[in-house]
Amino acid sequence: MAERRKYKKRYCKYCEAKIDFIDYKDVASLKYSLSERYKIMPRRLTGNCKRHQDMVTISIKRARSAALVPYTVSRKEVVVNPFENMK
Amino acid sequence: MRHYENLVIVKPTLTEEEIKSQLAAIKDIITSNGGEIKVCNDMGIRKLAYPIEKSVRGYFYVIYFTMEPKNIAEIERRYRINEELLRFVTIKYDSKREVKAWNDLVAKTEKLSAKTEEKAPVAPAETAETAETVVAEEAQAEEA
Repeated sequence: MAERRKYKKRYCKYCEAKIDFIDYKDVASLKYSLSERYKIMPRRLTGNCKRHQDMVTISIKRARSAALVPYTVSRKEVVVNPFENMK
Repeated sequence: MRHYENLVIVKPTLTEEEIKSQLAAIKDIITSNGGEIKVCNDMGIRKLAYPIEKSVRGYFYVIYFTMEPKNIAEIERRYRINEELLRFVTIKYDSKREVKAWNDLVAKTEKLSAKTEEKAPVAPAETAETAETVVAEEAQAEEA
């Protein structure tokens, strides 16, 4: 229940901030749409609109190829904190 | 001419001069293929999200430039040959919205670099001084 309530109020955060373009180097803004295992969160949980979800997906994939965001986190190789150099 | 952005990750094991010469070589590749470098963003050594070729850290460098689309294949080929490059990412900014974003990013990085340049001549002197004073204080403490 607690999980569900967390995502109850659905509105697009990116629409509210009036973001036109999401930079893949700005990891802090992507973090919202990533799960704790660095999967891309579905729209039904984050409440992103389709337009922004597409943008987020593209920039997350770019950030992954640029080694800014991990592809996966396994239990064996625990990444200490991939965002440690984000200030 | 199309707007592009290149992110290159250089091996962090190189010395500073080697990294600098690598970056100069990369810029040379772009300019010699008819590209126009607008602004560069030096992100410095940071941790990689996952190890690449057994290195955990990398030296990130971002270059914003305009270039004829046909030359991109050539610079990517040159990057692949270079073994000191861990990774490169080329991003195309094509649509109106993306070009606007590109211009915004360029303006942002220009501001950033101007700030660091302003700070740079002052900051090292300051840190050097503080370091000296700290050392002096430590020495005094030891004497006492």
